[in-house]
Amino acid sequence: MMLRDCVNAFMAVTMIFLCSISPGRAAEVEAQLDRDSVPAGNGAILTLRISGGHAEPPEIPAVENLIVQSRGQSQQVRMINGQTTVSVAYTYAVGSHTPGVYQIPAVDIVVDGKKFTTQALQLKVLDSGAAQAPPAAAPNAPGAQPAAEEPPDTGEKRFGFLTVEVVGSDRKHVYVGEIAPVRIRAWLPADSRANLRSGIQPEGKAFTLHNVSGQPQQTQEIRDGKRYLVVTWFGGMSATKAGKYPASLSVDATVAVRDTSAPKPQRRRMGGPFDDPFFDNVFDQMDTPMIQKDVTLKSDDQEIEVRPLPTDGRPPGFTGAVGDFKFDASEIPNDWKTGEPQQITTRLTGSGNFALMKAPELTPADSWKTYAGKDEFTAGDNASFSGSKVFQFSAVPRMGGKQEVALAFSYFDPATEAYKTTSTPPKTIQVAGADIVDVEPVAAPATKEPEKKVATLVAQHVAISPAASLVPLIARPAFAEMLVTAAVLGAFGVIFWRVRTRRDDPRRRARAATEKAVHEARESAGQCAAARDVTGYFAAARLALQHRLGALWSQPAQAITSAEVHARISEDSPVARFFHEADRHEYSREAQGEILPQWQALLDEALASLTPSTR
Amino acid sequence: MNRNFLIGLLYLFLGTAFAGASAFDEANQQFKAGDYGGAVATYEKLLSTEGPRAAVFYNLGNSYQQLKQYGPAILAYERARLLTPRDPDLLANLALSRKAATAFEDAGLHPQMEAALNYLSRNEWSWLIAGGALFLGTLALFCGLVRLPKRGQRQCAAASACLAGLAIAAGATALYLRRAEASRGIILSENATVRLSPFDQAEALGTPGPGRSVHLGAQNGGFYYIEVPSANLHGWLASKDVAPITPESLPK
Repeated sequence: MMLRDCVNAFMAVTMIFLCSISPGRAAEVEAQLDRDSVPAGNGAILTLRISGGHAEPPEIPAVENLIVQSRGQSQQVRMINGQTTVSVAYTYAVGSHTPGVYQIPAVDIVVDGKKFTTQALQLKVLDSGAAQAPPAAAPNAPGAQPAAEEPPDTGEKRFGFLTVEVVGSDRKHVYVGEIAPVRIRAWLPADSRANLRSGIQPEGKAFTLHNVSGQPQQTQEIRDGKRYLVVTWFGGMSATKAGKYPASLSVDATVAVRDTSAPKPQRRRMGGPFDDPFFDNVFDQMDTPMIQKDVTLKSDDQEIEVRPLPTDGRPPGFTGAVGDFKFDASEIPNDWKTGEPQQITTRLTGSGNFALMKAPELTPADSWKTYAGKDEFTAGDNASFSGSKVFQFSAVPRMGGKQEVALAFSYFDPATEAYKTTSTPPKTIQVAGADIVDVEPVAAPATKEPEKKVATLVAQHVAISPAASLVPLIARPAFAEMLVTAAVLGAFGVIFWRVRTRRDDPRRRARAATEKAVHEARESAGQCAAARDVTGYFAAARLALQHRLGALWSQPAQAITSAEVHARISEDSPVARFFHEADRHEYSREAQGEILPQWQALLDEALASLTPSTR
Repeated sequence: MNRNFLIGLLYLFLGTAFAGASAFDEANQQFKAGDYGGAVATYEKLLSTEGPRAAVFYNLGNSYQQLKQYGPAILAYERARLLTPRDPDLLANLALSRKAATAFEDAGLHPQMEAALNYLSRNEWSWLIAGGALFLGTLALFCGLVRLPKRGQRQCAAASACLAGLAIAAGATALYLRRAEASRGIILSENATVRLSPFDQAEALGTPGPGRSVHLGAQNGGFYYIEVPSANLHGWLASKDVAPITPESLPK
């Protein structure tokens, strides 16, 4: 009974644990082939991915002439926001020696007791001879033929290439000034590593590239049976002059690809029904070394005809806008006064060369004088091809009375290949004041090609300037000489400062005065000794010692007595002994007599013991 | 005799000055009359005899511009800019010339900083450094010799020293950031071809276009090794197709 309880408890804990790592969502099964077709004798990779539960290894139903070999399984555990997802991927190499279309049937998989079925897949096995002829044979694909049978891919496109497509148009021509939205794609081999070293640039001077998107999109795509990493940009291309020009773009990149020309490693044959040589290439792919090269990825030269804008039917107010535009909003004040400016705001939306757009015209034109204002563009897409532009400008009415006004904007529509003029609904306004007659009427817009403002050179200088050297001072020896002069001046300044501060130091001056007094006292003592004046000798000698002690003890020399010396200095010291000797002679009343050499020696010893260096 | 010698020197000086002025006027007249080729020759001769002058370079640039020789025009304007970096006429015409030649200068990361750096020429920045250093040295010498008794005087001296130090730091920074200009050159001709090696028959790598500013490297025979900024183009270019902005041939 107890054993049964323990088993039940263990099962309960196990269930709780399994539930805790069980998926937060329903179980899913998925079957995927890495390619749709393979040459006969080659293999494709079939992946069965089971997530959200526990399942037994699936069994692939047998198909006649189709070889299926298991390549193992891998497990992935993901925890997102506390939810744990376990997925198991079973990998198989599938292929056949017999060309034909093979149906890989749906696989039944039981996940946590529930039956799931994958979708059926189709694999086309091509005739190996026919499959290698076109470039679609996917020479780099896993499972490709051994190197001896297939020449290695050493062409320029081995490292990738660019494609350029005009988006949303089937036209093979563009118009001068038109900005055609283009999609630029860099096709890089899927198993390569690439680093772009420059921006995308046109190869020739006929076209210019605008507003290339800064953050390109990255996708995996199959082209001609080969898998590529595709980096996609959007931008606009425009031409400035008419004619037929090759439109080619390029980008500098460093690309590392697998060197298919490298010799393949020899594999040991283990025997068995599924030991087929074409499965070796799955592993050869991983063993192939990488080669890296700085390359310029180019698009094919695609000739594009650039047509001039037609002169027939060009509206007077046309200022070079090419695209498709319409008024989105406009704000015109109701009440005006002749000669007084007010601001008009309007917004044009659409697609085209917004960069060249000028403000719309206020009609009737001869009733108004307008001034250049400001504009602001808001892009509607990555390439800034569509969007809206807000214009704000000032206008002055020249005619009084009640009027109907509107804003008009003329453009060339490349889709219909015709000029169009779009207008705002007419608005009735009231203008106070009399007509302005002294103002020159606004010139009617030119009916010919819009005039381009030609900036002219600023006039010649008429006064000759003095001669000067083109070589900057820093490159001339004078610069170094000036710096050396400055350094010397600074060094002298520092030296003078040190000298001055030393000279003005009060402690140093006091020390010098002390030494001078000591020197004078010793001189006096020497003179007394020569004159056999014992009293004078000892008085002068004591004074010399007092000066030294005064400097040491920061006291006036005269204030230092024998008692203080005996109290502060050891009796054995030469100073105390000299003071003792001086007292003895002073009190002995022997005014005249011989100055014994030992007294001189004792004085010298006492003074030496009080020299500044011994302090 | 001394007086005669001095008078002779004065005549010589005035004569040279007037000769320069009259040649300048003559070239201006040629320009006015539309003889741009003649004006170019006269301006070039004036430069070779009288030395670099901002007005002559400027007018020479205008003459080349009229002849649609944008490379030499931009070169002349750039040389004038070394002498008068803030001349608005010069900057306007240089911009026009670059636009005509489609030889635009790469905008810096910080336009305001670029404007501040280019407000003074490299020569003027050098003078700022030299002046600051000389001022600091003189101030140090003065303070070493004379004691400044008042606190205000000491504060004034310290503030002056700080200003001089700032001027030196600013000048040194500007010269460091503009160090590449010391080896700048201008492409002169339309068909100037950058080659893989310094030989006329070497593989062509590209044509930078006239007026383009390039970095000049080593010289080998009749070729310069050049790098075209931001174009990833570098190689050898014939010396006749490129000229350094600071010319060795002109009197310095």
